[in-house]
Amino acid sequence: MKRYKALTFYGMLILLLLVVAAAAPYIVPYDPYAQNLPTALEAPNGIHWLGTDRYGRDIFSRVLVGAQTTIFSALLLLSVISVFGIFIGIISGYYGGWIDTVLMRITDVFLAFPEMIFAVAVAAALGGGILNAAAALALVAWTKYARLARGLVFTVRHMPYIVAARMNGTKNSAIMSRHILPNIAGTMFVTAALDMGTIIMELAGLSFLGLGAMPPMAEWGAMMNNGRSMIQTAPWVVVSPGAAIFLTVAIFNLFGDSVRDYLDPKQ
Amino acid sequence: MKKVTMLCLFIFIAGLLSTGCGSVDKQVNEKEKVFRYGTMAYGPAMENAGTNPHDTYYGWSTVRYGIGETLFKFNNQMEIEPWLADSYKQIDDYTVQINLRNDIIFSNGKKVTGDAVKACLEDLIAKNDRAPGDLKIKTIEAAGQSVTITSKEKVPALLNYLADPYGAIIDMEAGEKDRIVVGTGPYVAEKVTDTEIDLVKNTNYWGEVPKLDRIVVKSITDGDTLTMALQNGEIDAAQGLPYASLDLFKDENKYKISSANTSRVYQAAFNYKTKALKDLRVRQAISMAIDKDGFTRVLLHGNGVPAVGPFPGNMHFGGDVVKGQPYDIEEAKKLLQEAGYIDTDGDGYVEKDGKPLELRWLTYTSRQELPLLAESAQDSLKKIGVKLIVNATDNYKSFLKREEYDIYAKAFVTAPTGDPEYYFTTHVLDHSAYNHGFYHNDNMEVMAEELRNTFDKDKRTELAIRMQQQLLDDCAFIYAAHLKMSFVMKKNVRGFEAHPSDYYEITAALDI
Amino acid sequence: MHKYIIKRCIQLIPILFWITFLSFSMMHITADDAVDMFYEQSGAVSEAVKAEKRKELGLDKPFFVQYGSWVTGVLTGNMGTSFISNKLVFETFIDKLSATVELMLVSLSMTLLIATPLGVLAAVKQNTALDYLLRFTSFIGNSLPNFFVALLLIYFFALKLEWLPIMGNQSDWHTVVLPAGTLTIAMGAKYMRQIRSVVLEELEKAYVAGARARGIPESTILLHSVMKSVCITVITLAALSCGSLLGGTAIVESIFMWDGVGKMAVDAILTRDYPLIQAYVIWMSVIYVMVNLAADLAYHYLDPRIRLEEGDGR
Repeated sequence: MKRYKALTFYGMLILLLLVVAAAAPYIVPYDPYAQNLPTALEAPNGIHWLGTDRYGRDIFSRVLVGAQTTIFSALLLLSVISVFGIFIGIISGYYGGWIDTVLMRITDVFLAFPEMIFAVAVAAALGGGILNAAAALALVAWTKYARLARGLVFTVRHMPYIVAARMNGTKNSAIMSRHILPNIAGTMFVTAALDMGTIIMELAGLSFLGLGAMPPMAEWGAMMNNGRSMIQTAPWVVVSPGAAIFLTVAIFNLFGDSVRDYLDPKQ
Repeated sequence: MKKVTMLCLFIFIAGLLSTGCGSVDKQVNEKEKVFRYGTMAYGPAMENAGTNPHDTYYGWSTVRYGIGETLFKFNNQMEIEPWLADSYKQIDDYTVQINLRNDIIFSNGKKVTGDAVKACLEDLIAKNDRAPGDLKIKTIEAAGQSVTITSKEKVPALLNYLADPYGAIIDMEAGEKDRIVVGTGPYVAEKVTDTEIDLVKNTNYWGEVPKLDRIVVKSITDGDTLTMALQNGEIDAAQGLPYASLDLFKDENKYKISSANTSRVYQAAFNYKTKALKDLRVRQAISMAIDKDGFTRVLLHGNGVPAVGPFPGNMHFGGDVVKGQPYDIEEAKKLLQEAGYIDTDGDGYVEKDGKPLELRWLTYTSRQELPLLAESAQDSLKKIGVKLIVNATDNYKSFLKREEYDIYAKAFVTAPTGDPEYYFTTHVLDHSAYNHGFYHNDNMEVMAEELRNTFDKDKRTELAIRMQQQLLDDCAFIYAAHLKMSFVMKKNVRGFEAHPSDYYEITAALDI
Repeated sequence: MHKYIIKRCIQLIPILFWITFLSFSMMHITADDAVDMFYEQSGAVSEAVKAEKRKELGLDKPFFVQYGSWVTGVLTGNMGTSFISNKLVFETFIDKLSATVELMLVSLSMTLLIATPLGVLAAVKQNTALDYLLRFTSFIGNSLPNFFVALLLIYFFALKLEWLPIMGNQSDWHTVVLPAGTLTIAMGAKYMRQIRSVVLEELEKAYVAGARARGIPESTILLHSVMKSVCITVITLAALSCGSLLGGTAIVESIFMWDGVGKMAVDAILTRDYPLIQAYVIWMSVIYVMVNLAADLAYHYLDPRIRLEEGDGR
C-alpha cells in the first residue's frame, strides 16, 4: 500500500511537471524571446526572478518555456532507446545461442561507433534541429539498454519458476513478457530515469553542429552550454537551467524508484 | 561488513586529501625569471604547433613567441617598418632591392647575410602553400647585405607579404630538429610539443637584451580553464579569454589589460540570388536594423568596435572614411514598405504578394561571436517585420555548397598584411573565392584591376576607399564589428602588448 | 573456454570492417573535407592550391579506392599520417593513449570504491534518512553536466583552497585528481543508484526471506548471495564505462588540458582527418569487443549457470 502511495505521489509530480511544461507559453510572465540589451545580465531581482541573460531576456520565462523542448525531446529519445534496447536485450539474453551472438555483435558495432561521427553525418545529410539531434543520439544510445537488459535476463532466466514455465510448454513470448520483463522492468526503469540528465546534456552537446535547439528556442541544456563562460560573473544564467534539470532529474528518479518498488513481484 | 567498507572508504578519501594538500607549485626556481603564458591560439588545430615558418601557419608561432623575425614589421597603423631590413629601393615595377641591417646574428651566432636571406626565402616559396601565390617571385639575388627580388608579375604589396610570419628569417644551414628552427629572435625554443613551447633566453640576440630566463607558452583550449589558471596564478598572462571573464580582472591593483583593434571583421553577405534581396531597399532596410552598438557593447562586453566598412579605424583606409547605413529602425520599416512589404495579417511579420519575408541566416559556431550576432540580428529584424531563420552549424560548408542560405555571416581578417587588395580579391570580384553573395559590379572589377597595378601608397589608399564606398552603397555586405583582442596579465608584467596584426606577442621588451 | 575466446576474437574482424567502412562513408557524407578544414584558418587559398593538396592526400580518388587503399595500408602496418598535422597516426595515437588509460584507471577505481558500498548501504537502509540523503547526492551528480562539475571542482579545490593544480600533465600525479574526480562524481552517482536498485531486487527475493528465516546473519546474505547479482550489474556497468572512458572524455580532457584520445578524436572528426578518425574507430572497436568479452566471461565465472553459448531457447 505504501508503494502505491509513493507511486501515485511521484506520478502526480511528473504529471504536474508535464502540465507546466505544456502550459509554459501561456503562463510566462515575459516574452521569453524578447531581447532588451540595456537590461542584459541582471542578477535575480524583483522584476526578473531568475535574472536576465546576455540578451536581456527574462530567464524565468525561458526556463519555463525550455521545459517543453527539453523534457519532451528527452522523453521521446529515452522512450525510443529504452524500449528498443530492452527488447533486443531480452531476446538476446533469453534465446542465447547464435541469436545472442549476432545481436551482441551488432550491439558491439553500434557501441564502439563514436557517436560524434553519426552526429556529423546526420547534421550533413538531414540538417539541424533538435529532432535530428535525437535521431543521431538514438542510433547509438540504445546499446547500453540492450546490454544491461541482457545481463539482467541472465540473472533471471534460471529462476525455478521460469524453468518450470518453460518445461510446461509456455510460449516463449509469454515467458518473456509475463515473467522476465516484470523482473527487470524495475531496474531498467531506474536506469532510464537516471539517464534523463545525461540525455538532456548530450542533446545540448551537439548544438555546435547545428543539431539541437536553434536560436531563439529556449532549451535547458543549450542555456547551460551558452552561459558557461559566465559562471563566475553571472552564475544565475547557468544555475537556473541547471536547477531546472536537477529538479526534473530528481522527480524522474524518485518516480523511477517508486515504479521499481511497485513492480517488484513478490514471490 | 558494511563497517569494513566504510572504513576503507574513509582511509581512501583521507589518503587522497592528505597527499593533495600543499600549495600549488607556482615558481619553479626563485633564481630564474620565468614567464608563464596561457593562450588559446596555439595548437595542432590552429596548424601552428611548430616553429618552421615555411610550414603552413607555423610562422605565426615563430614570430609570436619571439623565435624569429621578419624583414619588415607592422606598426599600429598596419604600415610596414624596417626590422631585419633597414631600407629598400623599388628598382622597377617588378624588382625591389632590400638592404639588411649589418648587426643581425642568428641565435647560433652566425651572421645574417644576403645569402642567408636568399636561402631562406627560396625555401619558403618551395615549401609553403600560400607564399608562392602571394609573392610571385621569379628570382632572388644576394650581394653582401642586400637581396634583390624579381617578381613574375607586378606585386605592389610584396614587402607587406614579406612581413607575414611565413617570412621569418631562419638559418637554413641549421635546419629543423624536433620542430625547432634557428631564428634571430630574443628567445630560443628548447622544446616544442602539441600543447606547449618552452623557450630560453637568446644570449646572442642582436637587439635589446632579453630580460627573462625562461618562458613557457601553454596551449589552453578551454576558456574557463584559462580564466581560472590566471586567477590562481598558474599563468602570468592569458590570451583569448572569453569576453565575460574580462570583468573578473578589472582590479587594477592586481591585473593589467592590453587591447588592440584588429582587422578581423564580422560581416554578413547578402545572397543576390535570393529574390527578396535583389531589391536594394530591402538590403538597406536590413542593414539599418542591425544594432552594432548593442552587439559590441553588450554582447561582446566592449571587445569590439562597430564597423562601417571592412577595414578598422586604425588604418588609413578604414573606419569612418567611408559611410554606411545608420542604425534606424523606423527608416528601415519605411524602406520595406516602399519596397512593397506590408504586414497584412497582423502576425508581426511583413509580406509581399502573399509571401512572408523570411530569410535564412547561415553562420558557423567556431567563433563565439557569430552565434551572438545571429541571435541579436534575429531579434532586431523581428522589430522591422523580417523573420530570420538562424542556422548556426559547424557543417556550414554543406549549406554553402547547396546555396541554402540568404545571408551568410562569417569572421574574416581583412587586412592581415596592412594592405587592402587582399580583401577585395577574395570577396567582391567575380572570381573571388569567398564571394558568397554572388555580388557583381562592373565598376568594382575595373577598380580592382587598377589597384593591382598601382604602387603608390596614397593612390592605393584612395582606391581602397572608393571601392569600399561602392560596396557600402550597393549594400552588398553588413559589416557588424571589428574585433578588439586583449591580453590580460598580472600587474607585474611589462612590455607585453596587443598588436592589431596579432603577430607580435613575446618581444625583448617583455619583463616581469 | 579457449575456443570461445578465440571465436569472439575472430568475430572482431567483421566488426572492424563494418565499423571502419561505416565511419569512412559517414565522413564522406559531409560536403567538406580535410583540405577545406586545413585552409580554414586564416584567409583565402586558391582552388588550385587546394586541388594540389587533395591530390597529395589522395582525396581526389573515388570513395571505394580511398577506403581500399586505407585498408591495404593498415594491413601492412601503416596507419598513415594525419591530414592535418602530417605526423604518423600510430605515434600520435599511442602518445595520447597512455593519458587516457591513466585517467580511466583512476576514475573507474574511485567510482567502484565509492559507489559500491554506498549503493549497498542505500538499499539496506531503504527509505531511511540515510537513503534519501544518498539518493539526493546522486541526483546532484547525475543532473550536473560534466563541465559544470569540472568547473565547480576547479573553483573550490584549485582556486579557493589551492590544494590542487588545474592543468594536467602526466608526470605530476596531483593533476589526475580533479579530472578523475569530475568523472567519478558523474559515474558514481549512476552506479550507486543502479546498485541500490539491484540489491533491493535481490533482497526481496524468496531465497533471501528463506535465509533470514533460517537465522543466517544479514551480512552473510549480503556478501554471498546478493553480491553475485550486484557483481553482474557492476561488471556490465564497468564494461560500458571502461569502453566509454577509453574512448576518451573530450570535455574533461579539454578543460583540464589532459592530452588524451577523446579530444584528439573530436578534433579529428571536426577537421575530417580521416586517417586519425579511422585509427580511433579501430581502437574503439577493439576495446568494446574485448571489454564485452571480458564481461561475458565474468558473468560465466560468477554464475556458471550462465553458459557462454546456449542454444536452448526453445
